[in-house]
Amino acid sequence: MSDPPAGAWRPDRDSAPWWERTGREEFAVQRCDSCGTARLPARAFCPACRTEGWHWEAAEPAGTVESWIVNRRAFAPGFAVPSVVVMVRPDAVPDCLLPGSWHAAREPVGGERVRGVFVPVRDGPTLVGWEPVVR
Amino acid sequence: MAFVVKRLLEFRDRTAIAGVGYTPFGKDSGVSTLTLACRAIMAALDDAGLTPDDVDGLATHRVGDSAAPSLVGPALGIHDPHWHLDQFGGGSVSHAVVAQAALAVAAGVAETVVCYRAINARSEFRMGGTGRALPVSPEVQYQAPYGYVAPPQQFAMYARAHMLKYGTRAEHFGQIAVTQRANAAKNPRALMRTPITLDDYLAGRWIAEPFRLLDCCLETDGACALVVTSAERARDLRRPPVLVSAAAWGGGQSHLSGGPSDPTVTAAAALAPRLYGQAGLGPADVDVAQLYDCFTYSVIVQLEDYGFCPKGEGGPYVASGATALGGPLPVNTHGGFLSEGYVHGVNHIAEAVSQLRGDAGDRQVPGAEVALSTAQPGYVLPATSALILRRG
Repeated sequence: MSDPPAGAWRPDRDSAPWWERTGREEFAVQRCDSCGTARLPARAFCPACRTEGWHWEAAEPAGTVESWIVNRRAFAPGFAVPSVVVMVRPDAVPDCLLPGSWHAAREPVGGERVRGVFVPVRDGPTLVGWEPVVR
Repeated sequence: MAFVVKRLLEFRDRTAIAGVGYTPFGKDSGVSTLTLACRAIMAALDDAGLTPDDVDGLATHRVGDSAAPSLVGPALGIHDPHWHLDQFGGGSVSHAVVAQAALAVAAGVAETVVCYRAINARSEFRMGGTGRALPVSPEVQYQAPYGYVAPPQQFAMYARAHMLKYGTRAEHFGQIAVTQRANAAKNPRALMRTPITLDDYLAGRWIAEPFRLLDCCLETDGACALVVTSAERARDLRRPPVLVSAAAWGGGQSHLSGGPSDPTVTAAAALAPRLYGQAGLGPADVDVAQLYDCFTYSVIVQLEDYGFCPKGEGGPYVASGATALGGPLPVNTHGGFLSEGYVHGVNHIAEAVSQLRGDAGDRQVPGAEVALSTAQPGYVLPATSALILRRG
């Protein structure tokens, strides 16, 4: 995929360690020290028990396709058209819906199994895209 | 909790919308949003038989583009507003602004509040994803790197999820566009008045699959304003009062885990019982509904979540003709954002007022007494809001 426009986005103080991990090709989630609930994206408080203690945990970058779109116009500079953006429900945090790039020649299928692929980007954190388990 | 509910019931019908005002809608207003705001406010005050000297409250919502109350007040010689609100946010907070104005009036903080939205959404600040700076929000980092930045993409994503789960089809989305265009043909204010067919819809170019051109609302230059005052005072003014029977706020969906994560259910499903309970009414009592239609799909999901049809049957419900003028639940009688124009939620409320006053002309729903008007149902920005209005 193409590089995103420079300066259009950046990690924040909560998420910087998550993006560091994607750079090592690790798909990490935060695990609450108090109640064990996994959460994503990164933030200080557990939404279930409202406590702050947590640790990073490497998770399998796997999930299911919840939806997808096919971009037929350039919504942002530097992105090819047509291109697919997929919305994935990760196994490790099933109440999270993550958008990501799609890495296959065909379109996704609703509910199909996908695994994460790590996509290096010039001058930026490594992104997480998705490819079908059954190609 | 019982205390809260009792106070909400006391709020029922205490306040009213006493005037509405518009600027013309277009693609290039040629003026600032401050000018647009002032023009719409003056029109709304004239409609109510009031002047800026009667105004002691100002409120708007915006994403950095509309004129702030702190600018509009001095511009119209309103130098000491007793109450004001400059609400950050998009369509999801549009009805919350009027609700908060009504609360301020009911609490006695202000007597006459003007709520407005001025927008140069075509000529200056386009939301369709071209030439716009991304908002500063932590969530952007999980979207923008994938080129997923604009509302047409986001709502298309949710629309596809609904198609996958419930078999909703392009023809269902298309029926909304066709029906609303037919309504707009009867609305002299509407930007798009030439009737269309389902074939026209299906022949439209792709924007972001599954959305075609006519799934998307019109990026519009224009402004709309509403005068909110006490029901008692409204009865003495020029136009028939339209009572605020209920107002409700709700949550929504975000990327953050721990919250709602079924993309086919909106925050309206949780909000609706509170809203109807406050009004003492149910979906069957609603004579006309203005449902936030930034995209066709948002109408379908709201028909379900506000209880007009079972979950998953919004598409067939629309295809049955139920939401057309003459059907059991006319929806977006002005043509909506798809065909009248997009004033970020406020023109929905104004149309509801018009229907309840009985001055909607060729598109009037005969005998309309109760209207539902809704904000964006809580996708993208996890917030929503809605109003039930009643003929006074």
